[in-house]
Amino acid sequence: MKKKSIWPKVYLAFIFIVLYAPIFYLMFYSFNSGGTMNNFEGFTLDWYKELFGDKRLLIIVLNTIIVALLSAAIATMIGVIGALSIVYMRKKTTKQALLSLNNVLIVSPDVIIGASFLILFTMAGIKLGFTSVLLSHIAFSIPIVVIMVLPKLEEMSMSLIDAARDLGASPWDVLSKVILPYISPGIFAGFFMALTYSLDDFAVTFFVTGNGFSTLSVEIYSLARRGISLNINALSTLLFLFTIILVAGYYFIMQRNSRAAEAGVRK
Amino acid sequence: MNKLTRAFIAVFVVAFLLMYAVSELNGSDRKTAGNTLTIYNWGDYIDPELIGQFEKETGVKVIYETFDSNEAMMTKIEQGGTAYDIAVPSEYAIDKMKKANQLLPLDHSKLPNLKYIDKRFMDLPFDPHNKYSIPYFWGTVGIIYNKDLMKGKEIKAWNDLWSPELRNNILLVDGAREVMGMGLNSLHYSLNDKNKEHLLEAKRKLDELTPNIKAIIGDEIRLLMENDEAAVGVVWSGTASEIMWEKDNLEYVVPEEGSNLWFDNMVIPKTAKNLKAAHQFINFMLDPKIAARNAEYVGYSTPNQKALEHMPKDVVNDKRFYPSPEQTEHLEVYENLGADMLAYYNELYLQFKMHKK
Repeated sequence: MKKKSIWPKVYLAFIFIVLYAPIFYLMFYSFNSGGTMNNFEGFTLDWYKELFGDKRLLIIVLNTIIVALLSAAIATMIGVIGALSIVYMRKKTTKQALLSLNNVLIVSPDVIIGASFLILFTMAGIKLGFTSVLLSHIAFSIPIVVIMVLPKLEEMSMSLIDAARDLGASPWDVLSKVILPYISPGIFAGFFMALTYSLDDFAVTFFVTGNGFSTLSVEIYSLARRGISLNINALSTLLFLFTIILVAGYYFIMQRNSRAAEAGVRK
Repeated sequence: MNKLTRAFIAVFVVAFLLMYAVSELNGSDRKTAGNTLTIYNWGDYIDPELIGQFEKETGVKVIYETFDSNEAMMTKIEQGGTAYDIAVPSEYAIDKMKKANQLLPLDHSKLPNLKYIDKRFMDLPFDPHNKYSIPYFWGTVGIIYNKDLMKGKEIKAWNDLWSPELRNNILLVDGAREVMGMGLNSLHYSLNDKNKEHLLEAKRKLDELTPNIKAIIGDEIRLLMENDEAAVGVVWSGTASEIMWEKDNLEYVVPEEGSNLWFDNMVIPKTAKNLKAAHQFINFMLDPKIAARNAEYVGYSTPNQKALEHMPKDVVNDKRFYPSPEQTEHLEVYENLGADMLAYYNELYLQFKMHKK
């Protein structure tokens, strides 16, 4: 067998180092007693203490997570229904048109979406705050979920559905016992995409926050004029670790499921 | 399907648990429901303990929100949707907000502590008789320089920047009014000059400065100055005090030809719902002891004369950040030039930025 060259591995390692270096740099300085990102003076956990002492910041972090979870979950439900109706659309032209409309929403600039939401909400008399942020996050997450779920649906063979119907399944059975289990990896992927989009969105959120309700990205951005304190580094470190745990958890669940599936086949 | 249902139920349960946690964290505030005050301020621009103290003293619940630019703040206020009771715009923004009818007049009879504000900073051109605004913090535009890199040479005036020794060593803050003002001041013109001849002259003078300029940038000046990347920077005094906080061998001067005097001011926007609490809060922040504590936290210069008595002597006597009345006399506040003139300033500034070395 031909010996594999080492260069691909070096290249890969290099790329990952470049991608992760800024994050580790930031994490490293969250332990700096010096108070700046310039020289490392000594190890301290003061920034973490300060972080947990700051009630306002904690509420903002929790709010950010709540909005992300709820908006991702609701957007996933609506998005899956949307994907189903797009895939099983009879007329090809309508299907194409709907898909394009969906994609336009993904590529259009956040600033425009945010500004239009602000105008809409103030005209409709919805008070800016939790509701307005949640609604707008659901809205911009739906197209993403649709895009994530569609390929799974399209790859599914129609004969599966025909077979199910032949064997006497009701339409509800077909949906809940055949289609949804089949596309569930797509659904989870859509959910996680929506979750991350919601967590880091600044532009749309900026326009629709108000009445004391704020999310993390808006809050951190507003610190720019006075300089960002190291407790934001501490916070970012914790959020990064939290994300890592989520990703690892997701990976293990997937692993277990695929092993279970294989075992099922062997039986 | 079961797996999906379980996963989604789990997500909702977690979300509602977190919501419960938030309401618990907010718990102590429920008693004062109804009597709230919404403050819209720059990020990290108030001592958070003071908000707690104000809540305790008055029983008003404070909702505190932050913004990062005057433009962003004006957009949110213009659109409505949030009942901001207090906002803190810079002086040029006040002029715009006044013209757009976004401000409510202040009731001076409810602000007895107003008498503590230094007379120098009252009744300024952007708001005659302080009808709409009360100064919150103030400062200057000036030159910060690195004593080591300057090898003992001092800078006192704008014209010192044109010295050939400073080749490729100057950082400018990226603002049309600031840079054009520097050109005008160096020729001893007013930085609100509307004479196009004078402006062209200033622009030509600035063009001569280009070999000395290393960069025209924003907040990055802080980092570059702290890392000895350049010897000289043209900055706002607030930025300067933050840089000097980090590093010792720096000096800040307000050029002797004159310079800009800027203000951030407390106003009550038209979205206000709780006028009583808004006045209470402004009056609270004008209290000398409170103003002194806030100034120590933020590190900018307070316009509250009485507050200076409660602050450390070495801060108050620092002529760089608390210039004497004689020094501030030849400093000018930006006046509204009108849209056409402002466009001309921007045009010249753009030409200057594109000028080849």
